[in-house]
Amino acid sequence: MSLLRLVDLSTDIALRRGAVHALDHVNLEVRQGETLGVVGESGSGKTMTVLSVMGLLPPGGRVVGGQILFDGRDLLAMKPEELRRVRGVEMGMVFQDPLTSLNPTMRIGAQVAEPLRVHQGVGKAEARERAIEILRRVGMPRPEKIVDDYPHQLSGGMRQRVVIAMALIRSPRLLIADEPTTALDVTTQRQILELIDDLREEFKMAVILVTHDLGVIASRADRVAVMYAGRVVETATTEELFRAPRHRYTEALMHALPESAQGKLYSIPGLPPDLSRPLTGCRFAPRCRHATDACRTTDVQLVQAAEEHLYACLHPVTEPVAFAPRGAGEPREAAGSGTILSVRELVKEYDAGGKGRVSAVAGVSFEVKAGETLGIVGESGCGKSTVGRLVAGLEEPTGGQIVLDGTDIAGLDRRARRRMHREVQLMFQDSYAAMNPRMRIDGILTEPLEIQRVGDQAARRARVTRLLDQVGLPARALERYPHEFSGGQLQRIGLARSLALEPRLIVADEPVSALDVSIQAQVLNLMRDLQSELGLSYVFISHDLSVVDYMADRIAVMYLGKLVEIGPASQVVRAARHPYTQALIDAVPSPDPGHAPSPATAIRGELPSALNPPTGCRFRTRCPLAQEICATEPPLQGGPHQVACHFPLRPEAAVSAGAAPAGAG
Amino acid sequence: MARYLLTRLGQALVIVVLVTLITFVILHFLPGGAARAILGKEATLEQIAAFNHEMGYDRPLWEQYALYLQRLVHGDLGYSFQLNQSVAEAISQRLPKTMLLSLASTALAVVVAIPLGVVQAVRRNKWPDYTINALSLLAYATPIFFMGLMMIILFSQVWPVLPPEAPQGFTLGEVLADPAGLVLPTVTLAVLTVAVYSRYVRSSMVDNLNENYVRTARSKGLSEGRVIVGHTLRNGLFPVITLLGMYLPALFSGALVVERLFNYPGMGLLFWQSALKRDYPILLGVTLLISVATVLGALVADILYAAVDPRVRLKASRS
Amino acid sequence: MNDETRDETHDGAHDEAHDDGTRVRGLWRQGLEVFVDNRLALVGVGIFVLLAAFSFLGPLFHDSDQVHTDLASVYLSPGTAGHPLGTDGVGYDQLGRLMLGGQTSIVVGLAAGLLATVVGTVWGAIAGFAGGWVDAVMMRVVDAMMSIPALFLFMLMAAIVTPTVPMLIVIIGAFAWLGPARLVRGEALTLRTREYVLAMRGMGGTGGRAVRRHIIPNAIGTVIVNATFQIADAILYVAYLSFLGLGVPPPAANWGGMLSDGLSDTFSGHWWLLYPPGIAIILIVLAFNFIGDGLRDVFEVRLRRR
Repeated sequence: MSLLRLVDLSTDIALRRGAVHALDHVNLEVRQGETLGVVGESGSGKTMTVLSVMGLLPPGGRVVGGQILFDGRDLLAMKPEELRRVRGVEMGMVFQDPLTSLNPTMRIGAQVAEPLRVHQGVGKAEARERAIEILRRVGMPRPEKIVDDYPHQLSGGMRQRVVIAMALIRSPRLLIADEPTTALDVTTQRQILELIDDLREEFKMAVILVTHDLGVIASRADRVAVMYAGRVVETATTEELFRAPRHRYTEALMHALPESAQGKLYSIPGLPPDLSRPLTGCRFAPRCRHATDACRTTDVQLVQAAEEHLYACLHPVTEPVAFAPRGAGEPREAAGSGTILSVRELVKEYDAGGKGRVSAVAGVSFEVKAGETLGIVGESGCGKSTVGRLVAGLEEPTGGQIVLDGTDIAGLDRRARRRMHREVQLMFQDSYAAMNPRMRIDGILTEPLEIQRVGDQAARRARVTRLLDQVGLPARALERYPHEFSGGQLQRIGLARSLALEPRLIVADEPVSALDVSIQAQVLNLMRDLQSELGLSYVFISHDLSVVDYMADRIAVMYLGKLVEIGPASQVVRAARHPYTQALIDAVPSPDPGHAPSPATAIRGELPSALNPPTGCRFRTRCPLAQEICATEPPLQGGPHQVACHFPLRPEAAVSAGAAPAGAG
Repeated sequence: MARYLLTRLGQALVIVVLVTLITFVILHFLPGGAARAILGKEATLEQIAAFNHEMGYDRPLWEQYALYLQRLVHGDLGYSFQLNQSVAEAISQRLPKTMLLSLASTALAVVVAIPLGVVQAVRRNKWPDYTINALSLLAYATPIFFMGLMMIILFSQVWPVLPPEAPQGFTLGEVLADPAGLVLPTVTLAVLTVAVYSRYVRSSMVDNLNENYVRTARSKGLSEGRVIVGHTLRNGLFPVITLLGMYLPALFSGALVVERLFNYPGMGLLFWQSALKRDYPILLGVTLLISVATVLGALVADILYAAVDPRVRLKASRS
Repeated sequence: MNDETRDETHDGAHDEAHDDGTRVRGLWRQGLEVFVDNRLALVGVGIFVLLAAFSFLGPLFHDSDQVHTDLASVYLSPGTAGHPLGTDGVGYDQLGRLMLGGQTSIVVGLAAGLLATVVGTVWGAIAGFAGGWVDAVMMRVVDAMMSIPALFLFMLMAAIVTPTVPMLIVIIGAFAWLGPARLVRGEALTLRTREYVLAMRGMGGTGGRAVRRHIIPNAIGTVIVNATFQIADAILYVAYLSFLGLGVPPPAANWGGMLSDGLSDTFSGHWWLLYPPGIAIILIVLAFNFIGDGLRDVFEVRLRRR
């Protein structure tokens, strides 16, 4: 019995000139008690779909056709008051960004209970009781106190619980979660997703889970709808979709995931189409390697593959997609010899304005060899970005040494320091923010050459053209401004700029975190190609373990300013020794629906403040294995695979061929 | 919160001291020197020497400044030989009347501007927004005395319902006894304020309406009115409190013009008369006092803002 | 706002970077297009050009004696031969006087507005870049001067020195710079921490380069927009000072002074002495506000993304 059914739903967003056809004849169905996953990249229309249902379209947005049938009744035909009641009582919505989704000047309790007060006329005292009750239910510690707090007093994960509580207090029959965990760390993401799962059963509601993350879908949804460019291109049960996808886009998306990498990632070329222009044929055809003339001219309709499986593709996939189990990837070629970077006992503290000192980085040591990629992984606030900025010479360490190519950079004079910047370059997460919006691309790319006084004008011009070519952009791009490029293109330009001075080491801070999967694959492949071509070393910083796993030869795991584990990538990911690393690995949703995380390693609680961090092992306050001895600091020990833990999960594996031992050089 | 209050208080104190420094410097740049400027052109050399000695103007500069501060602290703002009255006394007779005018017009402006700004924000880029915007721009571009004159022509000449001149009472009570006379000065001064405030309210409300929390509120099935009144209005109006403080200098400037136009017996009129007569003690005294009033007003507004907005109020307890 | 719509609305621009043969448009050209799109801004430019032409070129077509009074022909009504807009209380031709007054208003407005902008920009930039106690001291000075209501300060100055046109410019310019100073300091503080400045430092660039190549070019838009509002304000200040009896003495004239003189003629029916200068002031102040709004669109649009 379907609870919500979208029939040929079309939505436009009016622009100053013309309109974006955000949704084009979308058909979807959600049944009672099931979780429907809606997956797609930015611009696919997945968010517009749920906003159309909730009547929350942005200014200029309007449903221009079709029906939204909730429990058999068309929402679009209802009177406004009735509609508000249905949306307010029978549906609940959870948004992406918990930091901005709550009214900053309203007490938590008042916000959570507001639907009751408005729609059911519940009195103040009772509303408060009900708010406390539901806050307790979503796992909020001390709900009697939280109920009188304001949002800014809570962490991101806690705020998301409040938003969920707010949606649930009306006991809705349908819960819509739009990227509910995208803004959160993986361990928090896991807690929130589990909570939504539990509540679905308890409240017997249907859930629409909108996300860009195939992993989240695979582990949580019963059925999946894949969207591309404003259309549903494929729907199937989760198990069926991941086992035997039919649409070429779905297939390409799965191949672009770092988890599925066998050797090199598949990258989808090009960009999604502009939805403000008239489109004919299959919308994916321009980027599809199987496209034929028919694809470009026929309006491809959804056809049935199996009872529960619809797809809109003229040349569907016939062979099943094999998901590589982790570790199947070939160990990468051993890195060259010679240490390019050596970091010893690095410390960075910030003054917290009279309240003490924030310990951002606390005694971190590691080495990077020539031609090698060291991945640094950890959740927000672990200090990984600070390490990157210290290494790139953008900040002064409070203590410790950074030895670059045999020279301690602390002792350098001005001139030598400037030269040092030739050796290390930084690549940013948001290249748009890292480029002067008033400079053209040629100016942006020439700037490092000018600063370092490399070559004359003609030589610089030649170098810049070559750089663009290396990152796969046409020379025409030189005359354009940053805002004229897409995120993926900007990331390429950012990489080109980092390469301008022919550095030996590039510190890449979350270089693909803001990109869609298909674009992410393009950039990751480019980075790897250039590495082998130019013999570069990377320090690759990311919160995303699967991306780091794909890119890195060795991985360092950080927690609250400390290095807790470091070793060859395959060993750290496949045979983690630190309980935190294991929890991090288990929290990453796997795109393999058969893969279920073990509940034992789930960590609870919140990240402690870096102001006055726990003594001894900083993880002990959240560690399931913690004992008294953990109050003393565990040293980082072991061979190539080192761990800082009194109770390592497993002994170090025998040194496998191909993995470069860190200590034996 | 306590920390914030202390810093803010310290800042205000520093600014007040700097203002006294500015007036002190101006005092010494008066044409013919401070003594001649204060005593008048007819003063003899002996009188000037005696005055300089009495005021300490023959001592080193820093001592002079210390003496100046000392006198200020004791409420001694100087003596106007032209009015034959101490500056403090002259001001204290007129200050309440100026405060009355300023407060009344601000209250009126706030009451009018908030609904206008809210309507503009809610109906943004539609005709009510355009109309109000055009009117407030027009009000902003019109010199306030021209605006006042139009009011006089309209309401005293064309449709004679109000007197063209302000009440001429000596005390506050006498002024209040003639409320009809207060209407035109108050409204005139309020017009410009409305123009400034409504623009501010509009942009603050538009910012808030674009916030994600508004979408959350809508998702609860609240009516549009409830979303605006229950959620955005409060957040949108908090910053207006700080505007009350920031706008004070412009308000007092406006009061100066309005008092002159309507012949309203407040500080502005006193200042204007003194400027024409080059009565420097009064000019400096009024300038100093009005500046201190501005600083205090801004301080009160900031504290009020901190008290009502939980984001500021609870900053100290943030983990 | 929703991320998806934003991305979608920008796809057009992305595509252009791909299409062969699309015109490459410079920032100035794109800016001009946006400015032209804002009809009010165009109206503003139109009004300004007309008023400036009237004031500066008008005397070539309408010659009148603006130095000697002519007590034989006072308060002549508009339409009198040789005096299309009549004459004032001392026999000056009103049309010619409007031209003369316009020259003063426009010159003082532009000069004082620009002076304030330049002084304020330099002051604010130094405070913003230097930071620390230099910034604290410089900004407290701004706070202190700002807490003295501008008109009081202007009148105090005008009571000390006799106002002439250059003096008016200096007096207004010397106190109107506070607003721009605050604004530019804020800009400098935020721009200093932008990632592109950080990126440049990562290449080994110096602070001087950051200021020259990154901070000034990005702050200039805010400064230009603010300058137009400063000009409008300066024109109003001149009017207020004239009204308060401390404007430029005759035979010089400005619209504000003419308007205040006209006030006393209101009740004697000499409307031509009141409304023309009043309307002229309103128009020119509106014009600069329209231009400022248009320029703001230009500078914002260039950065519009995400």
